[in-house]
Amino acid sequence: MLTEFGKIFVFIILAGAFVGIAIFAAMLIRPKRPSHEKDLIYECGENPEGSPWVKFNIRFYVVALIFLIFDVEIVLLFPWALVYKTFGFYGFVAGAIFLLVLFLGMAYEWRKGDLEWARPKINRLELNKLLEKKEQQVS
Amino acid sequence: MLENLFKDLSLIYPEIIVSVTLLLVVLFDLIYDKNKTIIPYLGLIGLFAALFYSLGSVDIETHAFIIGDTGNKFGLLSLDPFGNYFRIIILITSILIIFFTKSSSEIHSISERSGEFYTLLLGMVLGMMFMVSASDLIMIYISVEILSLSSYVLTGFTKLRDRDSEASLKYLIYGSASSGIMLFGMSLIYGLIGSTNIYEINEVLQTTSINSIIYSFALILIFAGIGFKISAAPFHFWTPDVYEGAPISITAFLSVASKAAGFALLIRFVKVTFLADNIEGNWILLQGFDWQNFLIIISVLTMTLGNFAALWQDNLKRMLAYSSIAHAGYMLLGIAVLTDQGLLAVMIYFLVYLLMNIGAFYIVMIIANNIGSENINDYNKLGSAAPFLGVSLTIFLISLTGLPPTAGFISKLYIFIALLDVKMIAVAVIAVLNSVVSLYYYIRVLKHMFINETDKTVPEIKVSLNDVVFILILLVPTLILGVYFSPIVDFAQAFLSILVN
Repeated sequence: MLTEFGKIFVFIILAGAFVGIAIFAAMLIRPKRPSHEKDLIYECGENPEGSPWVKFNIRFYVVALIFLIFDVEIVLLFPWALVYKTFGFYGFVAGAIFLLVLFLGMAYEWRKGDLEWARPKINRLELNKLLEKKEQQVS
Repeated sequence: MLENLFKDLSLIYPEIIVSVTLLLVVLFDLIYDKNKTIIPYLGLIGLFAALFYSLGSVDIETHAFIIGDTGNKFGLLSLDPFGNYFRIIILITSILIIFFTKSSSEIHSISERSGEFYTLLLGMVLGMMFMVSASDLIMIYISVEILSLSSYVLTGFTKLRDRDSEASLKYLIYGSASSGIMLFGMSLIYGLIGSTNIYEINEVLQTTSINSIIYSFALILIFAGIGFKISAAPFHFWTPDVYEGAPISITAFLSVASKAAGFALLIRFVKVTFLADNIEGNWILLQGFDWQNFLIIISVLTMTLGNFAALWQDNLKRMLAYSSIAHAGYMLLGIAVLTDQGLLAVMIYFLVYLLMNIGAFYIVMIIANNIGSENINDYNKLGSAAPFLGVSLTIFLISLTGLPPTAGFISKLYIFIALLDVKMIAVAVIAVLNSVVSLYYYIRVLKHMFINETDKTVPEIKVSLNDVVFILILLVPTLILGVYFSPIVDFAQAFLSILVN
């Protein structure tokens, strides 16, 4: 007799087999005429520009991290809001403490300049000097 | 229900104080951007207050933070004298470490980031304090993660050399893998038993016996996570690299406090979850998984590997890292005997280990501040250049070896007594032989400091009054407790009881 997980296992096998058989059947019937356009990566019909392996600026990650924190905040506040009335005053205090700690984090980011999108304030001349210094250290 | 949670908060004042201090440190860092000198003192005040409350709450023995149905008896935390003892050890260590950082030149070089440094340090303390009293698998996992995340960052915090970042990255990768393994083990246990609370797991195990392979497998996986924290072999590979690369104050902190928290967690997990009966201090564990032999194998492996690898080390920090692995092996023996006598031995060991290990690291740090090296070959003739440091380091190293008349002897003696009480003669002999091996590499440092000649001019070593006071605070107890040791035995005896079913 199959357990609940056994049914899922059968489902996975069937799903895999379905895709495999469909592709194999299509391969037998379809005409085969490869061309340059067909080998390209599909970018909504446009011709692809450059390599997909570009380096992202590190600042995107900082913003993403900050976004994640507040995303989690929302996820935690929804259930809190749902049972707010049954918990009464204590529930309010608990939520307030949570928000205050998060606010402190927000203030920290703001003060330390993580929310600013400015380029690093270092002019060309100093940068060259720094680089020379580093080269000397290496050699 | 929420009222109960707020009532339980009054039981964990030390943790609350540390959390509030952490927030205040962040706030002060933001408001007084220019002047960072106040921040360590703020941390000290918080830690002292937490220590005061911990010492005051000796007789608390209760389950706290009971969640779920009204019928539940067991909560997320179990507050008992045993957890409190380790909490006190952790708080004392962190207070010493803050003094430690104040005289470290590595930490001075990053003084503009000291706000973050002390915030993370307090984060580590908070994680460890929850770790020693966690009694739910979820709580165990969260507290281990609170500790780990802060320590990953602190390991590479100074960024002075490449090896700092390397240490941090290695620690992060090993650490996340091992906590993932631990979480997998926990999920298997939950699947088998249907509860995450270790007291409830114990209740289930007492009525039904589980002998499947998956059960043993899951326990070994959980042990992998805890073994990583206490650097037991074969989960010790991160230790030398991380201890060498981290700023030396963090190395000392990791080697004492983080290890203490890991041991407290292991002892509570083993004793509470698998205890069937307690006959006059002998723990009778449930069938299904042979903890005794498992722990004996791990501990013999740990101390042998630690001691033999330490023989070849030329870097003092690396050598002390291997020596701390070896010490973890001795302490694991104290758990492996599965008696209250063994537990007492582990608790005494930690108090003594705190004194001698921080002392040894502190002197290595002063010398590194002055000569900029931790290599043993640069220690030649330092004993005559700085006699006070030389003699103090000698005493700390002799204590680490476990020779009388130092406190290290007492701590090892209690481990051996516990071993002989349960007739584990062969294991005791292996442990003694290991101590003999350890004598070689500790004495080798002394040979370099006092006997070896050097061509280089011996640099002048400046020792400030603060350093002398700090070393004496650690040195005097190390010597006195070696002769007159009944106070620590009585102190540990008072905190022996663990809350069990």
